[in-house]
Order: sequence, then structure tokens, then C-alpha cells
Amino acid sequence: MAELQKDPMTRGDFLGFGLMGAIMGAILTIPPTAFVLSPIIKTNILGQTDVSEGWQEVGKVSEIPEDEPKAFEVDFPISQSYGTRSVQEESGVTDKRFKVKNAVWLSWKHKVIKEGRQGSAGDELGSGMRPAFMDEKSEGFTEQERQELVESINVLSNSCAHLGCPVRWLVNTEGHGEFLCPCHGGIYDINGGWVGGPPPRGMYRYTRVKVEEDGTLYVKHEFDTGGENGPQKPYVV
Amino acid sequence: MIGRLRSQTIEAGKSLTDWMEHRTGIVTILEHFLYEPVPRRGAWLYTLGSATLFLITLQFLTGILLLFYYVPTTDHAWNSVYYIMNDVYFGQLIRGIHYWSANFLLAVIGLHMARTFFSGSYKAPREINWVIGVILLLLVIGLAFTGYLLRWDQDGFWASVVGMKIGSYSPFVGGYVINFLLGGDVVGPATLSRFFALHVWLLPAAIAPLIGVHLYLLRRHGEFGMESEYTERLAKLHERERLEQYASYELHEDEGEPYVGRRDRADRDEE
Repeated sequence: MAELQKDPMTRGDFLGFGLMGAIMGAILTIPPTAFVLSPIIKTNILGQTDVSEGWQEVGKVSEIPEDEPKAFEVDFPISQSYGTRSVQEESGVTDKRFKVKNAVWLSWKHKVIKEGRQGSAGDELGSGMRPAFMDEKSEGFTEQERQELVESINVLSNSCAHLGCPVRWLVNTEGHGEFLCPCHGGIYDINGGWVGGPPPRGMYRYTRVKVEEDGTLYVKHEFDTGGENGPQKPYVV
Repeated sequence: MIGRLRSQTIEAGKSLTDWMEHRTGIVTILEHFLYEPVPRRGAWLYTLGSATLFLITLQFLTGILLLFYYVPTTDHAWNSVYYIMNDVYFGQLIRGIHYWSANFLLAVIGLHMARTFFSGSYKAPREINWVIGVILLLLVIGLAFTGYLLRWDQDGFWASVVGMKIGSYSPFVGGYVINFLLGGDVVGPATLSRFFALHVWLLPAAIAPLIGVHLYLLRRHGEFGMESEYTERLAKLHERERLEQYASYELHEDEGEPYVGRRDRADRDEE
């Protein structure tokens, strides 16, 4: 073996070097690592999010067509680097807020006649569950009606559950419509249920939804992840 | 007259190179780096490494030029690329070179790797160079991935989203990987800043010294398939063939009847 050191090291020297090495190493490595990994510490460990946690307006429930979904554009304010609100206000650029633009697909839930199996076939669907009172009025809903509306509307994220591309509604020549993902061909039915292609689950649903008396639907940026639906979040919506 | 001028110029040039050589050893270094014996058979295949080096150098040079106009913010990224392509003199040429040499780079690296693999150039004592080459390949893939988003157009944007989501499926660290790349939990200004930092500083800074080590190790061991390596191998092959031939004679002796065997027996019988 090659002789690297002329003088043999004493035990005290060794421990001293080890201690000093550990201290110096920590001083040199921890700040830059935490600096670069800051988003991981904030989101993964502290559980914070960049998206504003307030209610965001989607649109009027009366605009939802009877038998097909409609896409609404929603801007969720986000705070990232120079998009942080305090930074904006201090610099005097208050009119410019950073947003992440999402499409929200709204449709009336369709009755599931027979549940399909993941990997072989999608659900067999019946008719839409549009409440009868929707024919009579488009605003001034009672508490009970608002509750019924929330329960009978599909509020789906357009982010494909496979790799996050934006899905769109396509109708074939026979008039049968499905959600199709342009990237790898994931297919979903009107309820967002899995029909075909690579997605491991159905479309992401917004879990926090409310309808106001004037018939406007609001959502929060939260999705049905975790549990049976798997840990995958629609990270990039 | 012209003859005298020429000889004077040659003289001056010679004394200048001598002067530099004496002080820096530059001529020796250049000779060392420029002249490399290459096996005669398949010599063209040995230019693939140089082609890779050439394309990477192009990437560095055109990348530096693009930085004069590119603005890495969500508001201006696409516009600044548009400006480069339409208003800057030779903007299409410079960005075109950056774009196409990036594409060809990956193809040429593939060919370079295939040549190394099929000629067995990764074998001892060149294993470390293979390992470094693979790290370089991964860094180039990282550069290609991060560069795609910087255009901030639909194509690059969604390709990056798909790439990041693929990363999010990695076991155990998936969630950390994607939040690291996003710089948060959604695509936003932080995402573009991060990809810019990775593409323009971190990955090139990592790739440059590794290219140096790759070249140093190449020079240390030489190109695979050198004359000496061949002669050694050929000598070994001939030796083995000779021994096999002997072995086959011995086999014949046991079986009885070949000419050599008969004479041997005759010799023995006489004794």
C-alpha cells in the first residue's frame, strides 16, 4: 500500500480532525443545500402550497350543458419567487399577480349503471342527473338546492392523471363523447372515470366546491389524492 | 523578392514559436493534444468522439451568445426568443445552430457510445472512462430536458410537464423530485428560474471538467485498437492456434494411425 502519511496520527488528532471536519462540513454544506432545496422543505416537509387558498370563481351553473361538459378557465393566484404578494406590493407592481391558469370541466354527473374494472372497461353510464329545478331558474337557489347542485356536478381538473397534459372533450361521429388526452391517449368518460389508455386512475376532482345563491360555482385548489386514489398529485395543474 | 519574404516570414514564425515553447511548452502540449495515433481499421469511427466534442463546444459558444438576448422570466421568455429569431442579426443562425447541434449531439453521442461498446473499448484499463462517459450522457440529457422549457412555448412547456410528472413517479423520492424541479408545487416563475439556472450554470459547470477528465483518460490510455494492442493480441492468438494444432496431433496419436504417431511408435519399438 502506498504510504500517504509520514507521521502516524494519534487518537486525539484523529478525533480532533473528525470533529473539526464535521463542524466545517456542516457550515459549508447545510446553507447551500437548504437554499437550493427550499421548495422541498416548504412544500413536502412543512406542507405549504404556492397556490392561494381562497375560493376562486369558476362560472354559472346554468351555463353547464345538459349532456356534455364545458371548460371554464380559472386563474389561481400563486406566490412564487417574484410573484410573492409582499414583494409585489413593496416594489409597487400591485396590478400584476402571478397566476396558474387551469381549465375546470363542469358537467352533470351521469348515473353509473354498472361499475367497470380498471384495466379492462370503463363504467356503464346512464342519463345525466341534472336537477329538475334547473329548468325553472338560474339563480336564487335555496340552501337545499345549492347542496344538491354541489352533489350533482362533476368538477374535474383538465390535468390528465397520467402525465399532466390537458385533456379535452371529443365527440365521435355517432355523437358519443369522451375526454381524450392528446399526449398519450388517456380516455375518460363524462364523470372523469377511467375508460382507456395509460392513466392509473380517473380524472382529478376538485374536492372543495360551493355554489352561491346567484348560481356561481367556486372551487379551491384541492384534489382527491391519497387513499384509494393513490399518492399521485396533479402537481402541474 | 517573394522568396526572400517567404523565408523571412518562416524564420520569424519559427523564432516566435520557439520563444513561446521555451516559456510555456505550448507546442509540446498542442502536439500532445492534436496528434493521436488511431488504428487504421475503421479510422473514421474514431472521429465520433471529436464530433461530440465539437458539437458541445458549439453549444457552449452559441449558448453564450443567446444569453445576450434571452430573458428568463415567464413574461418575457417566449418574446425574447421571438425577438432573437426575428429581429437580431443572424439570430436564426445562432439559435438554429444551438437547436440543431443539440439534436445532433444526442445522436452523435449514441453513435460514439455504440462504437465504444462494439469495439470493446470499455474494457480494462478504460472502465473509468466509460463510467465518466455515461455520466456525461446523463448530464447532456439533463441539459436537453432543461433547455426545452426555456422557450416557454406550448411544445416545450408540456414536454417539460410530462418529464417532471415522469420524475414524480420515481419510488420514494418522486414528490421531492418534482417539487425540486417546479420550485414549489405548481408551474410558475420559480420553475423557469430553476430550469434556467440548471441549464446555464449547474449542468455546464459539471460537464466541462468531466469532459477534461474524459479527454485526459483517453490520452493516458490511447485509443483502443492501437497497433501494439493488436500485435500483442495477434501474438497471443497465434500462440493459441499453435497449441491447438499440437493438441490435435496428440489426439491423433491416441487414436492410432497418423503418420507422426506411427513414426513415434516405430522409434519406441526400436529401443
